[in-house]
Amino acid sequence: MDRETRDMLLETADRFFTDRCGRAVVNEVEKGVWPADLWKEIEEMGLPLIAVPEDRNGVGGTLADMLALLRLAGSHAVPVPLAETALGNLLIAAAGSEPKPGPATLVLGNLTLSGGRVSGKVERVPFASVADRFVTVAGNTLAVVAAANAKIDGQPSHAGEPYGTVTFDNAAAEFSGASPVSADRAFELAAVMRAMQMAGAADKVLATAVEYSKQRVQFGRSISTFQAIQHMLAELASYVAATIASAEAAARDADEGGLMDGGRFSIAAAKSQASDFAQRIAAISHQSMGAMGFTHEHILHHYTRRLWVWRRDFGSETFWGDKIGAAYAKAGPDALWASLSASKYAA
Amino acid sequence: MSIPKLEFPPFHLPAEAEALRGEVRSFLEEALPKVKTEDRFASWNTFSPEFSKALGKKGWIGITWPKQYGGSERSFLDRYVITEELLGNSAPAGAHWVADRQSGPLLLRFGNEEQRQAILPRITKGECYFSIGMSEPDSGSDLASVRTRAEPVQGGFRVNGTKVWTSGAHRNNYCIALVRTSGQHGDRHKGLSQLLVDLKTPGVTIRPIINLAGRHDWNEVTFNDAFIPESCLIGNEGDGWLQVTSELAFERSGPERFMQNFYILRELVRVLGRQPAKRASSILGRLIARLWTLRQMSVAVAGMMQGGKSPAIEAALVKDLGTIYQQDLPEIARAIAESDATTEEDLADFLDVAQYATMMAPSYTIQGGTTQVLRGIVARGLGLR
Repeated sequence: MDRETRDMLLETADRFFTDRCGRAVVNEVEKGVWPADLWKEIEEMGLPLIAVPEDRNGVGGTLADMLALLRLAGSHAVPVPLAETALGNLLIAAAGSEPKPGPATLVLGNLTLSGGRVSGKVERVPFASVADRFVTVAGNTLAVVAAANAKIDGQPSHAGEPYGTVTFDNAAAEFSGASPVSADRAFELAAVMRAMQMAGAADKVLATAVEYSKQRVQFGRSISTFQAIQHMLAELASYVAATIASAEAAARDADEGGLMDGGRFSIAAAKSQASDFAQRIAAISHQSMGAMGFTHEHILHHYTRRLWVWRRDFGSETFWGDKIGAAYAKAGPDALWASLSASKYAA
Repeated sequence: MSIPKLEFPPFHLPAEAEALRGEVRSFLEEALPKVKTEDRFASWNTFSPEFSKALGKKGWIGITWPKQYGGSERSFLDRYVITEELLGNSAPAGAHWVADRQSGPLLLRFGNEEQRQAILPRITKGECYFSIGMSEPDSGSDLASVRTRAEPVQGGFRVNGTKVWTSGAHRNNYCIALVRTSGQHGDRHKGLSQLLVDLKTPGVTIRPIINLAGRHDWNEVTFNDAFIPESCLIGNEGDGWLQVTSELAFERSGPERFMQNFYILRELVRVLGRQPAKRASSILGRLIARLWTLRQMSVAVAGMMQGGKSPAIEAALVKDLGTIYQQDLPEIARAIAESDATTEEDLADFLDVAQYATMMAPSYTIQGGTTQVLRGIVARGLGLR
């Protein structure tokens, strides 16, 4: 979609998330309540179909459009599998099928797939216990499995979202087909998706801490006037800026380089970077907001807890750091600058 | 709630800049093997007129300046690529560095025609070098408190005072000095001016200040009734503060703020060998990812500047993050090298290099605006002050 259309969609979605996805909704999800109305409205807006082509009844946006939307969703802690469903639907459409309505999630890991049947077990699957269907890629085949055909052990994430372990025991797929996106590539796309959500959450943490510092009065003045606080928040801003800049650069490279292998190095670097700074962002924001920010009452934890969970999802900084480090070590010291300046694994 | 959005719009260096990169690399492949290893490590702190002249011959100093002053009228992004290639390949680019980065652009913007014609072509040839005359014994971060006084006299100024941390003054041709030309100490930003000072002027005395690593980069420059002709006033009398802040903006978001000790990363790759264990490779990869991020941020700032914006807060964020990265790098690298080096011999070599990097590290977050000054700028941008 063109820039103007995307901006309009993001503006509409921003207002919608602000109105319909407040603190109470996020807290209810943590208690195990599925926000059916919220999901219904998200589907009515077409958001899970943002990157599905129009000829498959989608919105016809690009991967970049989808990632921009998910950064926004990250800044609202949207407690439903919008990201997972949107990416899953993109993959389903790319494999030649038409996505069905309903919440879906991505099951990416060590799976085997043959004759339309899936076997294997994957832990920490986001929204496992609320998804209607699971999208998996094994090798170069994509399969969609209905929730009824899988075994799900719900283990809520530390952010209170309904994560869980999914086991397929020779499970029949409702759709399976050749996927232009490999299993490894699907994992990369999920990583850039999370990096963009982390950028959104990081942005919200900064805004929250800055706003709080202006409101909070101690020693007779707002704490934002103390140099100690100003420097903490400026440092926080630097980590937030790095998270945003790296995620946006990876989103651009993933989109421009094509669905099958665009921005492979950039994605690895961005998810490593986002995961690396998540702790500093959480630590400084909490320190600046004192006991207030540590309460369940305050919204800060909606974002800091997600950052802590998301940094592990689809590859932590250790996972992606190893990918990068191993490749650069293999290429040797003299290839380092040429590779880095080309944003590639090896020159 | 609304705070100013921190955005670093992803930016591609254009094709002609990337083409230039290839030319610069070929040139460096020829030129660098002749350079001593320690001079390469010191990169933009290494004074090598020979190297600067060779670079000038290629037309790569002052590349953005008008042709009438020896420039090539190419884009700011072409200059960006040259800068990062010099750093990425550890070239001894110190002689012309300040002249190319800030003194030349300052003269171009505020200098008079005579100054431009006399100096800019010589800078582009790589044979005219500059020092920065800002700090004084009592004026560091609080630059507006400078005391060096230039008293208007017949035909010029009589200058008295002391500048410190004046890098390269013992070898360079000129220094651009921030001085008080009117009013009193305490008038802050009012009454300051910038003077183009020939460092051989009678009454100007240069004494070394040795840094903790034993290097003689810095000097103390004393003015004792030194006469500076009126033709050496840069811009308008009294506009010194405005001019010096614009000069500082050139100093902050470039690749030298995160690639000054790039050689450490390269030597770390060497010492870890081709198949490091997972713990070492993951730490190496995280360091590479941080550097890649800084480069994305810096290129985004360059793109914004090329587009006519002045992203001062973003530039301050790049320098803050970048210089802290440079400080972290030798420490993190040393720790994994000690546990994961392929051979004892390689490790000993690496630790030598890392020791030098460790000693230089405190300077990164001081020069060109301390971390605390930068955070003040960012805090103002966040609406906190």
